[in-house]
Amino acid sequence: MKPLGEQDHYEALDVPRSATREEIERAYHLARVTYADDSLAGYSVFQEGEAPLLRDRLELAYRTLADADARRAYDLELEQETRRSAPEPEIERVAAPVVSESFGVAMLPPPQVLAKDLRDEDPDEDDTEYDGQRLQRVRVRRGIEIDEIAGVTKVNPTYLRFIEEERFDDLPAAVYVRGFLKCYARCIGLDPDRVAQSYMRRYDERSSKRKRGLFSRRG
Amino acid sequence: MPVGGGKGGVGKTFVAANLAATLARGGYRVVAVDVDLEGANLHTALGVQRPRRSLADYVAEREEDVPKLLEETPIENLHLVAATRPNLGSPQPSHARRIEFVRALRQLDADFVLLDLGAGTDRAVLDYFMVCDEGIVVITPEPTSVENAYGFMRAAFYRRLRLAMVSEDVRKLVALAMDERNERGIRTPYDLLREIEQLAPAEGGRFDRIMRSFRPRIVVNGARSAEDIRLGFSVSSVCRRHFAIDAEYMGYVNHTDDARRSLRALRPLVDAHPRSDAAVYFARIARKLLEPRSRSAGVEGSV
Repeated sequence: MKPLGEQDHYEALDVPRSATREEIERAYHLARVTYADDSLAGYSVFQEGEAPLLRDRLELAYRTLADADARRAYDLELEQETRRSAPEPEIERVAAPVVSESFGVAMLPPPQVLAKDLRDEDPDEDDTEYDGQRLQRVRVRRGIEIDEIAGVTKVNPTYLRFIEEERFDDLPAAVYVRGFLKCYARCIGLDPDRVAQSYMRRYDERSSKRKRGLFSRRG
Repeated sequence: MPVGGGKGGVGKTFVAANLAATLARGGYRVVAVDVDLEGANLHTALGVQRPRRSLADYVAEREEDVPKLLEETPIENLHLVAATRPNLGSPQPSHARRIEFVRALRQLDADFVLLDLGAGTDRAVLDYFMVCDEGIVVITPEPTSVENAYGFMRAAFYRRLRLAMVSEDVRKLVALAMDERNERGIRTPYDLLREIEQLAPAEGGRFDRIMRSFRPRIVVNGARSAEDIRLGFSVSSVCRRHFAIDAEYMGYVNHTDDARRSLRALRPLVDAHPRSDAAVYFARIARKLLEPRSRSAGVEGSV
């Protein structure tokens, strides 16, 4: 196996440097399937215990590339790395196109730092409550527009805005909202399940109050 | 263009026959060549029950003129070189004879020459796969097939390398690397490149060229679900990430009982059922073969 530490995030996700957000989304989903424990495509390829490491590596790559700011910073680092290693002619030759790019950017600065920074400014702990405001804050900080999320997830941007504004009355049935939330969360690099769970708790509370109100008015 | 894939029973012959028929029905002049002397049956898949001539005649030097080996098939524009043998004791072609054969095939007056390869990773099979940078690897959605397909592509890759490397030391190193459990810890082409560059820097560039020129194409046969269809993308991705092999996913063919039925009727499926789903999928694959390749630049051209 090629040492994972030497693959840059683009290689890890198997996308070109010019990949759009949508391509990154797609590549990430394919990679999740490819490196799942019961993956057929991975059969006989991975050594024991390797698949979880690969998955972590993917997660890191995705979190960085899916976040516009982090990606910009990362691209800058890559560029500097390439420039630094350019003077050696042998390396330059292999540094050109797709497959062999990795040789030129061997031993990148540890990318964990980037993701760690992200986490620090946005503590993503188990007990974090994800309300609309919080989601919006994370989204904005990561430089992602509502329309970008809509483009990737195919969820109506109006609903995405309603989610952030917590306009529960205007949102469709809970089952849809849950789905939207997961797409939204994945898109901005948050844990979809945790976000959905936390947000839906608020949603349910509010809508049960609403129903009670309705009944009492009738009664 | 060779059609291989390592494992037996994945449908190499089925894919070769139907792809050949699809291209022929599209107006291309196609020659389908069975090079599997051990298990020849491309002729049956194409509806030629008793070929009069065969590769065996060429091997035994009864026939020197390769164009004379061509058999007509029931399909217009499609000719066949069968591999039936008059008796089981007939010899295998020598390496030199094989090269001569391939050279003659290249000179045939045809738009496409498809080779139906035998199973396994025998040197003969690999060498046939080597005649073209962009041979087809057929896989079915089963672990056994996937495992053998990776093995096949790796073996082909290393065989190419060995053939291309000049210095004796480097060739030895490549041979060593082919054994997965080698002592030097060479696990991937990347490890190998590093070792080669230390040993003979000039060979490093050659290695890189070889690595990039080898671009097999993947066809998933017998797909029953969306997951099976996606397998091709995953395998292609794994090849790129773990073996430094740029394998393009050409498409899939659905699992269908028509395949068996058409075989019974001794006709390629796309000819017997031109409106079936499988025919549509084969047409898609054929179209993709005719298109220039999408990913990474390279010289385009089929055999």
